[in-house]
Amino acid sequence: MPKEERYDFVIVGGGPNGVGTAAYLAKCGASVCVLEERPEAGGAVENTEPIPGVRITPHAMYMYAGPAPAFEQLELHKYGFRMDWSPQSKNLAEQQVRGVATTQGLAPITDKDAMGWAKISGMLTDPPFIKELLRSIFWCPPHPPEIEVTAENVPYMQVYKRHQPDVWTEELLDMTMFDLMDEYLETEPIKVMHAMVAWYSGAAGHWEGVAIPALGCDITLTIYGGISVPRGGMHDYFHSIIRCAIAHGTVVRTCCPVDEIIIQDGRAVGVRLRETATTDEKKIWANKAVISDVDVKQTFTKLVGPQHLSTSFRRKVEDISLKGGSIWVSHLLTREKLRCRPKFRNPVSGDDAGLGPYPCDSRAIYYEHVADVDGRRGKPTMPPERLMWLSTPGDRFDAADPQCTIPGRYLASPYYTYVPPPEYTVGGPDALDKVKEEINAYLRKAFSQTIENLNDDTLVHHWANTPYESEFRNSGLIGGTWCGTRHCDDQWGENRPIPELARYRTPIERLYLCNQTACHPGGLALMAIPYNLMHILIEDGLAEPGKWWYPSPWYIPQKGKISAVPLHAGGK
Amino acid sequence: MSDPLIGKIFDEFPDESNWDVVVIGGGPNGLIAGAYLAKAGLKVAVVERRYEVGGGLATEEILFPGYYSNMHAIYHMMVDYMPVLQDFNMNRHALMWLKPNAQTGMVFKDGQSLLLTRMVEDTKDSISKLSYKDAIAFGKLMRKWRKIVDEIIGPATYIPPMAPIEISMAMQRTKVGNEMLELVEQSPLEIITRNFENDRVRALLLYTSCMWGLDPRETGIGMFVALMLQRGVNKCYCDGGSHKFAGALAREIVGSGGTIVDAAEVNKIIMENGRATGVQLAEGRVLRSKVVMSTLDPHSTFLNLVGARNLPTDLKESIERWQYDKWSYYTLHVVSKEPPKYACDDPWINNAFMVIFGIESTEQLLAHWDNVVAGKLADNFGGHATCESLLDPHLVRSPKGGYVSFFQMHAPYEIEGGWEKKGKELEGAVLEKWRKAAPNMTKDNIIMTSHETPAGIEIRFPNMRRGGIKHGDYKPIQLGCFRPNQDCSSSKTPIEGLYVCGASTYPGGMVLGGSGYLGANKVAEDLGIKKWWKPTKPMEQYIKTYLE
Repeated sequence: MPKEERYDFVIVGGGPNGVGTAAYLAKCGASVCVLEERPEAGGAVENTEPIPGVRITPHAMYMYAGPAPAFEQLELHKYGFRMDWSPQSKNLAEQQVRGVATTQGLAPITDKDAMGWAKISGMLTDPPFIKELLRSIFWCPPHPPEIEVTAENVPYMQVYKRHQPDVWTEELLDMTMFDLMDEYLETEPIKVMHAMVAWYSGAAGHWEGVAIPALGCDITLTIYGGISVPRGGMHDYFHSIIRCAIAHGTVVRTCCPVDEIIIQDGRAVGVRLRETATTDEKKIWANKAVISDVDVKQTFTKLVGPQHLSTSFRRKVEDISLKGGSIWVSHLLTREKLRCRPKFRNPVSGDDAGLGPYPCDSRAIYYEHVADVDGRRGKPTMPPERLMWLSTPGDRFDAADPQCTIPGRYLASPYYTYVPPPEYTVGGPDALDKVKEEINAYLRKAFSQTIENLNDDTLVHHWANTPYESEFRNSGLIGGTWCGTRHCDDQWGENRPIPELARYRTPIERLYLCNQTACHPGGLALMAIPYNLMHILIEDGLAEPGKWWYPSPWYIPQKGKISAVPLHAGGK
Repeated sequence: MSDPLIGKIFDEFPDESNWDVVVIGGGPNGLIAGAYLAKAGLKVAVVERRYEVGGGLATEEILFPGYYSNMHAIYHMMVDYMPVLQDFNMNRHALMWLKPNAQTGMVFKDGQSLLLTRMVEDTKDSISKLSYKDAIAFGKLMRKWRKIVDEIIGPATYIPPMAPIEISMAMQRTKVGNEMLELVEQSPLEIITRNFENDRVRALLLYTSCMWGLDPRETGIGMFVALMLQRGVNKCYCDGGSHKFAGALAREIVGSGGTIVDAAEVNKIIMENGRATGVQLAEGRVLRSKVVMSTLDPHSTFLNLVGARNLPTDLKESIERWQYDKWSYYTLHVVSKEPPKYACDDPWINNAFMVIFGIESTEQLLAHWDNVVAGKLADNFGGHATCESLLDPHLVRSPKGGYVSFFQMHAPYEIEGGWEKKGKELEGAVLEKWRKAAPNMTKDNIIMTSHETPAGIEIRFPNMRRGGIKHGDYKPIQLGCFRPNQDCSSSKTPIEGLYVCGASTYPGGMVLGGSGYLGANKVAEDLGIKKWWKPTKPMEQYIKTYLE
C-alpha cells in the first residue's frame, strides 16, 4: 500500500447517500474512496438473517426513490436492480376497496376521498404530473442564500401552478398536511391514515408549513413506489448503487471508522482513521473535498471538532431537533401465519395481516400518540387498544424472494411503533431499553387488536430493535431516528438542517455534507442528496459530469458560481 | 415496470440477457472464478440465491440487534498459498489477515492445558509439560510436514488433479514426495498414535487433524494430517470478519465490469441440443451464456438444475452415489459481558484463536465422533470455542457492549427428536460445559445466545446439504481426481458448456479458493482467452519438480 494515499474525494460513511455520491462522482471520472465503519456498507438500507431462513429488515423497507434521476443517470438496472412489485397496492382502485383500519373495523374510502387524493397527488391530469411533483419536492437542491424563497419559486409550487392551478394557493406553504386533506378529502380515517404514513415516512401530518413535503413522503411510497420492496430487500437496491460506484472505480473500505476530518488552514484535506481500522495507512488525503455521510452532529462535534467552529455555529448544530421519529421495530416469527380478526379482513383478498397504520379512527388518537411520543417523552402511556402502530405484511414479497424459508414458520416484519428519541427520553437514553421485554409484550397486545392469533402458543420469537439500539448498530441513525433530524419547516429545504448548511457546503472549505440528518430532503434512501449535491459540486468546479447529467429544472445557480446546467442545455 | 396512471417508473435488470459466463453461486469459489474471468475481459454474471454474496464467508448480525458473528468460515488456513490473494491487489479493499501466535488451546478438567502456536518452539514448551518426548517429536514432524505442505500440498491445491498412479510416480522423484506417500497410506489415528505417547497430546492433535470431517480410522487420507496440523497452527482471521474477503472479491468482479445478481435463485440450467446455454431464475429472468459454471453441490447442479434426464447414464449414476459430509456442526453463539476466562495452567489460552474443551482423552473423542456418525449425541461431547471479539472490535455494535464468542461441536444432521427441540436443549448443556472450563461463563455474564443447528445450516445455505460444509465427504473415493468424479474433477463436465467449481470439485471446500481458481483456468483455456495471471512461485516450483 502506498505510504500516502490520495483520492479526489474521501467520503466518510458508506450509507446510501455516501455511496450514491461516490457513484455520481466516480461516474464523473473522479477518484473516490468511501470509508465505512461497519462490516457491511449500506447504512440503514440493510438486511440481516438472525436465524437461518429468516430475513429481517431493521430499517429501510420500502422503495420511496422511484422518481429518482439516479435510476437513469447511474443506470442502476445494469447492476442487478430489480423490484418485487406488490400486486394489490399498485392498484389504486383496490386500495380504495380495502378501506382504512379503525377500531370499528375497515372504514370505507369514499369517491371524494379518492378523487381528492388523486388530484393533489398529480394524477388527474393527462398525462399525470406525479413524477414531476415528487421530483420538485425532493430532487432539487435548496435555492442559494441570495434568493428569497417565495410562493413563486418553491419548486412544488411551480409544478402545481403549471399542471393543476386550482390547487395552487399561497397558503399551501403554510398548511399542515391535515389542513390540505381537510380541503380535498372527506372522511376522517383516511386523513389519519395518510398523516400517519407521512409521519412515519419523514414529515408529519400535523407539522406546519410542510403539507406538500409530507404528502410527497406518503405518495412516493404509496402511489409511485406501489408500497413495494426491491427484490432481495432494500439492501439489494443499495447493492446496485454501490456496484455502480465500484464499476466506475470507487474504492470502498469497510471496518474503517474515521476519527477525524483533518483540517489545515480552514480547509478539509483528508481524514484520520481509528487505530482499529483494517488498513496499514491511517491517513487518507483528499485532493478536492471530504464529504461527510456521518450525521450532522457527530460530523461537527467529533470529526471536525469545536476548535474549528464558531460557538454560535456549534450551538446551532447542537440544537438541531432529532424528533424525526424514533421507531421501535418489531419482527415477529410465528408458528401460524398471522390472521386479521374478521372485521379487518380485506374484502378483496379475504385475508391480510397487513393493515398499514392502526387505529385511524380520528385525529384525536393521532394527537394522543404525538403527545405521548414527542410531548411526554417517556414510556408509552396509552392503553394498547389506542396505541398507533404500522405493519407491513410478509406477502409484500414475491414467492421467489421470501422473507422466511423455514417450513412451518411465518415472519411478520417489520411492525413499527414510535417512541421518543433516546436523547430526549425522560429517565435517560436507556430508560425504555431497560424495560424492553415489557414494552414488547405491550406492543403484542396492541398488535392483537387486529390480529387474532398472536399469542404465546404461536409466537416463536419477537425481535425488536429499539431506537437506542439502532443508533449503536448504525451510528448514522442519530436519535435512533428513521429520517434523521426532524423534517419540520424549520429544518426543511433552505433551512435544513440550519440555513448555514442548506446547500451542503460547510464553514470548513472543501468539506461537504451528504447525510440525511444534514441535507435536504432528508431520509428514505431517495438518492436525492447525491443528485442535489452534484449541483453544488459542479458549482464549485469540483465535478464535471458527462452528457448523462441533467440538473433539476427548478434549480437556481448561485451567483458567481459555475452553473450546474450544462452548456448544451443553456447553462453558463 | 410501467403503470397506466403514472407512466414508466424505471428500468430494471432485463428479463433476458446475454453473457460469456454465468456463475451459479456467489460463495468464495464463485467469486474467485468470476473475478479472474471478469478481469480477463469476459462478460461475467455471478448469480447468488441469498441477498448477500459470500456463501460461507459470512459476517452477519445473527445476534440481533447489535452483535455480528462469523457464522460460518472463520479459520482461514490457506491464506499463505491462495493465488487469488497474490494475483489481486487486496490491500485496495482494506483486506487484512491476522495470524495470532496462540492458535489452538485445549483445556482439561483438572486445569491442565495444551497450546498449539504458530511458533513451533512455543508449542514444544507447552507439550513438554506433559511429555518431553512428544514435544521433540512434534518439532521434528512439523519441520518435515512443513516441507510437504509448502512444496507439495499447498501448491498442488491450485493445480489440476492427477490420478493416484500419476501422483505416486511424481512423488517418487523427491525425498519429500516419498515422505508424503508414506503418510498417505496411514490413517490419522495411526499417524498420531505412532508419533506421540501422551494421550492428551494425541487427543489435541487428533481433534485438530480431523475436526473438519476426516474419519480418524480411514487410510488413504494421511496427508491431510500434515496439512491440517501445519495449517491448523497458521490459521488466519480476516480482520473485520470473513465477509470482508467476499466483499473484496465481489468488488474485483464489479470493478472489472462483471455483474452480480443477488436474491436470484437459479431453478434451471437451460439445455439446448445437449449443451448448457444459460440459466433461468426462479423469478423467471433468463441469463444466456457461452459457459455456465456451477459452484453448487453435485445433486443440486446435475440432478436438480440440469435434470437427471439430461445426464449421460454414467454421470447420473456417479452423481447419485455422491455422499455428503459424515457430520455437521452445532454452534452456540454467545454475547458475554466479559470474554471467557479459562481456568487452567496457562494464561495464553485466553488469547488463543481456538480453545477446545470437553474432551479428556482420545478414547472419549473417538466415542463422541462415533456417536455423531451414528446420529447420536451423548454427554461426552466436546468442541472448540473462539472469542471473536478478542480479534475484532468491529463485531459489537450495541449499547450493552460485550464480547462475541461461539462454541462449535460436531453433530449429526439427523437427530432423535429433531433439531428444533435438541438445539434448545443443547444450549444449556454447552453452557454448563463451557462454565466448567471457563468459570466466568455464568448466567450473569451472558447477555444473549443464539444457536445454529445442522438443519439450520442447510436452511441458510441450501447446497450445504445435510449441513455439510464441504458439499461432500472427504474420503479417498471423493477426493483428488475423484472429486466429484473423474469426469468432472478438472471442472469441465461431460455436458458441453457446463463447468463445476465449488467445494464438491477438486480440491474441495474450506475456503481453499482452489476450485474457483481451477475453474477459471479451465474456462479461460477452453474459450481461448489469454490468461492475465500466472502460477505463483511455489506452484511453478512444484510444476517443475513433479510435473515436467
